[in-house]
Amino acid sequence: MPIKKKVPQVETAEQVEWAPKVEVKEQVADLRTVLDRIKAREGVIGYILRASTSAAVDIKDPSKIIDYAVLSASALESAESLSGAFELGKLCSIVVEGKELKILLLTIGEHRISVFMEKNVDHNSIYREIT
Amino acid sequence: MNEEIYTVALKNALAEIKNVCPDISKAYILMDNGTIIAGDEQAVDPSVERAVNSLQSLAEKATSVGGLNDLLIDGDKGRVYISQVNGMYSVMALSKRADLSFLRTLTGIVLPTILKVLNGIGTETALPTPLKSTPIVPYTPFRPAPSEPRVEEEAVGEVEETIREPEQAAEIEAPEPIEARRAETEEETEVKSREPITDLPSQQLIVDRFGGFMVRPDTVQLDFEILERWSSLLEVKGINEVDIETFSGKTTRCKVKVISDQKFEGRGLIRIPEKTCETLELKRGELVRVKPVVPQE
Repeated sequence: MPIKKKVPQVETAEQVEWAPKVEVKEQVADLRTVLDRIKAREGVIGYILRASTSAAVDIKDPSKIIDYAVLSASALESAESLSGAFELGKLCSIVVEGKELKILLLTIGEHRISVFMEKNVDHNSIYREIT
Repeated sequence: MNEEIYTVALKNALAEIKNVCPDISKAYILMDNGTIIAGDEQAVDPSVERAVNSLQSLAEKATSVGGLNDLLIDGDKGRVYISQVNGMYSVMALSKRADLSFLRTLTGIVLPTILKVLNGIGTETALPTPLKSTPIVPYTPFRPAPSEPRVEEEAVGEVEETIREPEQAAEIEAPEPIEARRAETEEETEVKSREPITDLPSQQLIVDRFGGFMVRPDTVQLDFEILERWSSLLEVKGINEVDIETFSGKTTRCKVKVISDQKFEGRGLIRIPEKTCETLELKRGELVRVKPVVPQE
């Protein structure tokens, strides 16, 4: 049974007049919709969507949730550390590939997204769909 | 296997990979013991060291996905590609335009192959590097007598002075039958199960095999210094033949020449033709005991 937590609304720091107004609530909802659509794909195991104070987790095997959450946090931490050391600039995406599964991690605004999938799934198309 | 050799080989491999793929700006290998090997003699930055070490904790947590195989970090100014190779991790900083599939293929082939070869060498050479000369034992003739028998031998370098018994000196002076000499020359290069060679100056050397169309199977190659030392020790013009004894007890007599390839000089090697190696059941990297044969005049 997937665990879903309500993601709170986040206000944008600044909005310019010439740009279209971004409704954060809609953005989060869109993100959830996109991730749900992605999860329905063959080979995709689930996702974790984290903000600063909340998270939404939808993983097919609930017993793995903690392991996957720890792994995605550790991967992000390690990637940030490596990015700083090698001066990679702003992180676009991270792909962690294990022997059985792979994870696509990316940051959109303050949301950190981890998508878990089987190794044969095209993570590039998922990345394009999310961004 | 000697870790230093491992490190040098991997450094060279990284340097070569960087040459082939110029989009790699930095390349490292994180060994299973935590050592970081850098390509191109570049110093390992402390921040890089910390970051690369954070991989170890990530690798521990990656058991839930079957262990960490690959990690690709894509930033807006560059990428880092990390790949697991035989329990080690290759870490490469790349430019944005780097051809990742080419790099994957390259590292996926080159590094495992090198590691396999290194491991192969490591298992073949049971005894790694100690190449100290074995102490030279007192001289008492066990083979045909030299034409100029010596009553006394002066100490040369570390060689202990030895004084022969008068009876032994008399033995030396005794002429050898011609038939016996003939039989000996026929026996050359044959594997013989004669008594172990114990009485002449000897040295343990590492076997290196070599072959080719023009290679004579009865001629081995040794360092000039060793031959020079032996000839001064035995007070002869030069050493033309040596006796080789394997640790399994097989012995043979071969002609000897100075090592022709500079690459192999001064490494404590004896270069033995492949055919002779097969006869003696020797593998590259094994140790053999080599003794000079006192030339007949």
